[in-house]
Amino acid sequence: MLNRDRHRHFLELMAERGWDLLLFYGDNWRKDLFRCLVNVNFQGPQAVAALFKSGEVRAVVTDPWDLEPVAAAVNGNASLALRLADGLNALLAKEPAAVVAINGMEHMEARFVQIVRDSVRTAPVSATLDVEEIRRVKSPEEIEWIKQAADLADRGYQQFVKVCEPGMTEYELVAEVEAFVKANGAEDNFMLVASGGTEVTGMKPPTGRKFQVGDSVTTELTPQVNGYYAQICRTLVIGAPNDKQLQAYSIFAEAQQAAQDLLRPGVDISDVARVQNDVFRRHGFGEYTGPQYTRVRGHNLGLYPDELPHVLENVHYIVKPDMVLIAHPNTYLPLSGYMVFGDTLLVTGTGCVSLNKTEKKLFQS
Amino acid sequence: MKRGLISWDRDELPVAAFDARLGALYQLCADFDVPALVAYSDVCRSNDVRYISNYMPYWNRALTVVPRGEKPILLCALSPRVYPWIKTVTVHETILPSPSLPGQLAKLCAEKGWSKLGVLDRAGLPNDLYTQLDAEKLAFVDVPRGAFRPVATESELAMHRRAAVLAREVLEGEVTPGAIGLSDYELAGRLERRFRRAGAEDLVVLISDGRGVPLPAAGNKINKNSSATVALEHNGHWVKLSRNAANVTSALPPSATADVHRELLSGRYPWEGISSQEDSLNVITSIQVMIERDENRLYYGDTGLQGPDGWRKL
Repeated sequence: MLNRDRHRHFLELMAERGWDLLLFYGDNWRKDLFRCLVNVNFQGPQAVAALFKSGEVRAVVTDPWDLEPVAAAVNGNASLALRLADGLNALLAKEPAAVVAINGMEHMEARFVQIVRDSVRTAPVSATLDVEEIRRVKSPEEIEWIKQAADLADRGYQQFVKVCEPGMTEYELVAEVEAFVKANGAEDNFMLVASGGTEVTGMKPPTGRKFQVGDSVTTELTPQVNGYYAQICRTLVIGAPNDKQLQAYSIFAEAQQAAQDLLRPGVDISDVARVQNDVFRRHGFGEYTGPQYTRVRGHNLGLYPDELPHVLENVHYIVKPDMVLIAHPNTYLPLSGYMVFGDTLLVTGTGCVSLNKTEKKLFQS
Repeated sequence: MKRGLISWDRDELPVAAFDARLGALYQLCADFDVPALVAYSDVCRSNDVRYISNYMPYWNRALTVVPRGEKPILLCALSPRVYPWIKTVTVHETILPSPSLPGQLAKLCAEKGWSKLGVLDRAGLPNDLYTQLDAEKLAFVDVPRGAFRPVATESELAMHRRAAVLAREVLEGEVTPGAIGLSDYELAGRLERRFRRAGAEDLVVLISDGRGVPLPAAGNKINKNSSATVALEHNGHWVKLSRNAANVTSALPPSATADVHRELLSGRYPWEGISSQEDSLNVITSIQVMIERDENRLYYGDTGLQGPDGWRKL
């Protein structure tokens, strides 16, 4: 469907910037760049939506089966072009525009940017950062979708705990969880796993490794509902956790809670990273907060599972109400190997609330 | 992101197959008079690099560089923490951490003394990468995809064939009258479970309730006119098939008047629409046929090789 709130926001942006036409380019990886205006889960290699100053929206799809749902979302103003180049040429020939901006221009194939340039006889400008800034603050409707995704993440993690057992492989576990979240309405899912002990330094797609008693089994589970992702990060130990795993977990829990306690409108996102890292420093593990052992201390969530801003000490951004992000101090520790722990957090007027209901503990199977 | 089993079974796809492909790429370097060839990949555009080295960026972007006469080098935007795993599932022995792909490529060129490079389908690069590379003091020669993978090889065909066998077995076992009454979410879940437990690397399930085209599940009930379409990736090789609960079939290839959705499965993207058979000679293509029955739309389709003598099911 057309995102009515965003439609209005993007028209205001166009007026402010003096753009005649705003294109939204998505491909199969970055569907969000299209879906932030036309929220249809298209299947073709690419799709483009064009927002005109008049408010009219037209779309070009590259898969015949995308035509019906996309046309329904844009008052029938959708066309099919098996080659996007043909569709762009036709779209731009009808309505020559002086100033064209593209959301996702960086990601767009260079040949398509060239077509836009040739059609309007001037270089298009990137709208990606401006659109991204608008997308960071969620509308009430978007928050509802994220709450549903968070609920599904909780139930998906229950399934994870229920089925995980010694002898099962990583990819079989993912198959079971994937089947569960899809059967319960997820349209996609971002999911990393890892298993083992102190030799595990990070997460990746599942392998054929079989779980053993004593393993830490970690996951970032991120189901998508109507386009919107929510995430949960938890660690499970097969059998009884040892003292070092328990010690590590207590550090992760303290760090995540520090982030949750701090997060509120007006806070610099770098401080949300710093308070997490400070916990590790206080416990003598400060070196494990750097890029050699970890990536980020959290990130924004929405139509893309890894939206900006990233929660890092060198990233400065003032938090706003109705942002949704995950704070996760996930990293390697010599106590336990790689460990993860995090909740999806909605920024309220005065603080934040966790959208996950899953118990905060080191799980056992 | 890819969250299925990414693996390399050397019995299934031997090292010798990659050696032969590399040999062809060395010849391509000679033909285009370049010291090395560069290919781009990301999570949804992995087919070409998978062909070169079996590398699959389950997330993020990468460049694979094939120096003439040498092993391929991976410029990788993922963390070095996953490089040991990447080495177990690819032919890559050298992986260079590359937070900036253009910067790392320029550095590699300086070290190797290269002043020009062949770039596979250069205009297909993401615009930021294209622009940043353009700013480097290097000359680029565009290498069209047609020169890179002119004909599907036997090893490719064998991999697609295995994927097709798996897809047929699972679809024909699940999309049956027994599925009537399930929600399309539940059917999608059943298919996910079976395919992923069988080692699927990636999977997309679309379902039609007989009234429209196959789409992602939306909470509709499976009925006697429902069809399911599955795009399945098995160790880097895609197939696409459709089956229906009524078990109605179509001739494949279908008659010239049939309503057909034809796609290329060995192109830059997992699947791309193609308009005619002439567009797709000697490549893996799928054909999904819409069958009208009692004002309902049923779907049936499979994957095959589009050769000079026509389309042949794998």
